[in-house]
Amino acid sequence: MSKTRHLDAHCQAILDEYQNNLPRFREVEQDTKEKLKKTLADAGLLVAAIESRVKAYDSLAGKLELKGHKYNSLSDITDILGLRVITFYLDDVDKVASAVERLFTIDWENSVDKRKIHEIDSFGYLSLHYICSVPGFPYRFEIQMRTLLQHAWANMDHDTGYKSGVEIPKRYMRNMSRLAGMLELVDDEFSKIRIELTDYRRRVQALVRSGNLDEVPIDGDTFRSYLELEPFNQLNKRIAAMNQAEIQEVPLMPYLPVFKSMGLKSLGDIASVIKKYSDGAYQLACYQIGLTDLDIISSSIGPQDLCIAYILKNGGGKAGIKHMFDTLNGESDSNEMMAEMLMEQAKDLPFMNTDN
Amino acid sequence: MEVKINTQDSVTTAQLIGRLDTPASQEISGDFDNLTQFAAGTVILDCTQLQYISSSGLRLFLSLRKAAASKGGKVIVKAINNEIRSVFMMTGFLNLFEIQD
Repeated sequence: MSKTRHLDAHCQAILDEYQNNLPRFREVEQDTKEKLKKTLADAGLLVAAIESRVKAYDSLAGKLELKGHKYNSLSDITDILGLRVITFYLDDVDKVASAVERLFTIDWENSVDKRKIHEIDSFGYLSLHYICSVPGFPYRFEIQMRTLLQHAWANMDHDTGYKSGVEIPKRYMRNMSRLAGMLELVDDEFSKIRIELTDYRRRVQALVRSGNLDEVPIDGDTFRSYLELEPFNQLNKRIAAMNQAEIQEVPLMPYLPVFKSMGLKSLGDIASVIKKYSDGAYQLACYQIGLTDLDIISSSIGPQDLCIAYILKNGGGKAGIKHMFDTLNGESDSNEMMAEMLMEQAKDLPFMNTDN
Repeated sequence: MEVKINTQDSVTTAQLIGRLDTPASQEISGDFDNLTQFAAGTVILDCTQLQYISSSGLRLFLSLRKAAASKGGKVIVKAINNEIRSVFMMTGFLNLFEIQD
C-alpha cells in the first residue's frame, strides 16, 4: 500500500519523469542483464546469481522525501536501475568487473570500490559498485559485484542495521564486525583452496600426460584425466573386432569406486591391471559373445571384463563379482545370479588355469 | 512382436511382448519413434513378456535412452529375464540403464 508522502513540486517532477521513463528503464534492465549473462557465460565464468531491479515508485518517493533536495533531476539518481552480480569466489569479483568495464561506460568518479575504503581496524560491507551508462539512454545505473558471503553479510547487516529503526548498541556492532571479518577470511580461504586445487589438477594432468602414473593417486579428478587417454580403447577394439561390432561410448566414471574397492591406489595400478588382465578379459568376452551375432558393445565392456578377470584371478569369487555389480548397478539379487554365471563361465578359461 | 503403450501423467509404459530379433526390431521401430515423444518424462520398458533381445533391439533401447538423456527424461528397463540381463551384461550396457526387477 502506498504511503502518503509530502513531496514538493521539485520532487514530484522527478517522480513524474521516473514514471514516464519506466518502460525504458525496464528495457535497459533486460538488455544489460542479457549482455552481462552472455559475456560471463562466454568467458566460462560461473556466477551464483545475476539480479536486477528497477526501483519501485514508493521506494523512490521515500528517498525523495528524505533527500530530494540533493538531486537536480532524475539523472542525478544512479540507482533507479540496479544490477547485482554475485560470485562464488573473491577473485571472480575482479573478473566480473573487467567484463562490466568492457560492456558499459563507467563513471569512475562516482564508482566505489568499497573493498578498499575500510580503515585498517574495521570490517564491514565489502563490495564493488560501478556507476554505468549505455549509449542512447540518458540515465546512469548501478552494478554491484560481490561474493556470496559478502552478499549474505550485506543482507544480514541490512536487516539488523540501519533499516531496523533502532540504533544498534556498540557491543552488537562489534559482534557484527567480527562476523564480517570472519566471512572475509572465509572468502579468502575459498579462493586459496580453488587456486591450490587448480594447481593440483594441472600437476596431475602433467603427470598423467608424461606417463608417470605410479605417482598419481586415484581420485575423481585424476581418473577423469586418465580416461582422456582412453586407456581401455585397445582392449575394447580387440573385443569389438571379434564380431565386427560397433562401440558405443558410455561414461566410465562409475568404474572409479570399483577400481578403488579392488584396492588399487594409483593410476599406475590401473595401468598394471590393464597390462596383466587384458588377455583374461578378452578370453571372457570371446566366450560370452564370440559365438553370438551381437554386433554392438559399449565402451565399458573393457573395464568390466578387466575387473571380472582381476577379481576372479585374485580370489574375490562370487562375492567379489556381486560387489562389483552392486557398485555399478545398485544392489540386487540378480547381481548374484550373474556372479554365479560368470564363475561358471570363467572356470574353464585359460587365464583361470595358468599361474600368471 | 507387440508393443502396448500406455501413458499416465508423465510416465509412459511400453509393454514389449515377444522376441525382439532383427525383423521384429524393424517392425516396432515406429513404436519406439512414438516413445521418443514421451522421452522428456519417464519411459518404462516393461520386459515381463519379452523373451529375447538382439543387437537391433539393443539399438532401439539405446536410441530411446539417448533421446531421454537429451530431453532430461529417463528410461527404466523393467523385469528383464536372465537371458536378456546376460545380453546387457555381455555387451557392457548393464550399468547404462536403470534396471528394475
